[in-house]
This record gives sequence, C-alpha cells and structure tokens, in this order.
Amino acid sequence: MGETTETVIRLELPSSTQFIYVLDAVISEMLREMGFDEETCEQVNLAVIEAGTNAIKHGNKEDPNKQAHFEFILSADKVTIVVQDQGIGFNRQDVADPLDPANLMKSSGRGIFLMEACMDSVDYEASGTIIRMVKHKPSGDSNN
Amino acid sequence: MKVDIRERKGVTILEIDGRIIGSDSLTLKQIIDDQMSTAENGKINLLLNMAKVRAMDSLGLGVVVATFTSVQRTGGRVALLKISGNMNSLIVMTKLLTIFDRYDDEDEAIASFQ
Repeated sequence: MGETTETVIRLELPSSTQFIYVLDAVISEMLREMGFDEETCEQVNLAVIEAGTNAIKHGNKEDPNKQAHFEFILSADKVTIVVQDQGIGFNRQDVADPLDPANLMKSSGRGIFLMEACMDSVDYEASGTIIRMVKHKPSGDSNN
Repeated sequence: MKVDIRERKGVTILEIDGRIIGSDSLTLKQIIDDQMSTAENGKINLLLNMAKVRAMDSLGLGVVVATFTSVQRTGGRVALLKISGNMNSLIVMTKLLTIFDRYDDEDEAIASFQ
C-alpha cells in the first residue's frame, strides 16, 4: 500500500444485531492486514461495532427493509470508517453522559461514549444518520 | 460465545468463552435469566468467569450491569472473576471499576459468598 493510495471497501448489513459478527470479522482482518497493533485493533473494532449497533438498533430500529452501510477507507497511516443508517437521525447533544453517577448503572447508553473514547475523531453528519470516524496508526507500527 | 455453567458451594459459575458482541448479549441474558428463574425466590449467587472473554461491546456490558442490579434486588450477589485486558479497559473507561466485585482467584471469590 503506497503512501498516497487509498483503498475503499464497502459493506452493507441487514438491520439485525445478529450480523454484527460479520462487522467484527471484517474490521479485525482489515486492521491486521494494515499492520495496526493488537490494542489499537481492539479499540477500532469496538468503535465500529458500537457504530454498527447504533445504526441497526437506534437508526434503522431493526427494520428488515432497511440496511446499514459501512465504508472503510484504508490508507498508509489511518483508517476512516463511515457508517450510514436509514433512520431519522439524532442530536449528539441529546445523548446523556454515561459517566454521570446518575447513569452509571443504566444498562444502555454507552455506545457513543465508547466510539468517541476509542477513535481519534468522530463526526456526525446528515442529522446523525452518517458517522465518520478516524483512527491513525500509532507511530512505529509496521506497514504491510 | 460459549457459556459453561457449574455450581460450587451454592455459587453458580458461568464460564464465558469468546467475544460478547451484537446478539451474543441476548444469549447471555437468556442464560442468566434461566439461572435466576430456577433459583429459589430468584435469589442467586453468581460468579461470571471472564478469563476467556476476549471482547465485549456496550450491549454485553449492559447485560452485566442489568444482572448486577436484578440479582441484588432479589437478595443475591454477582462477582466477576479474572477480568482480562480488554474487559478491564472497558470497565475502567466506563467507570464501573468500583461498582463490580472483582477477583483473580476462584477460591477467594467463592469464599466471599459464604
């Protein structure tokens, strides 16, 4: 993979969390192939799983007629992941802080927080129906 | 994900193996609910062995948190055994470190229930 080369891989999943394992397998292999270290792989993996789960559960509301779209843009020094759902979107400001003591014991509401904690940047576009996340390869990682 | 269940000194031990992601959380919840429903008055002492859990997402973590709350409500107790690196990072990040009882040794964990 040359320094200026970008590879784009697209994936479309039905709106069911039973297919999240596909996402897990695809992103894991992609990142290993790119030469990401194990710890960074797990961080990106978790962020992608959370974004996919949000798109399927909250965006598409598990509607079998809707799809979740994933675009993985691979370059020498970073991976950019774009996740799009077919829902009505959401406002990031309205998402409660899961670290607030009042929310600590809630059984849900940690997905966005984990995405933002694991990636270098997370941007919300098109009223929150598109999420764009970037993770740079830590310096010193080998490139395949 | 694979879950083996065994009993020791009145403690139900769930040996969880694999990655708990996506719909695995529903499977784990069903297994725990089944164990609670067969316990007397729903009261159960539960030890979740996480040694072989290589990854967990927020859905899986949500099941653990919900189990902690529901088991406590029935007068039982939940503890976690052998939390690995990825799991530990997740629990630290989400500030649940002080909420869960955690053990690295099974004998010590079992003794804590007696």
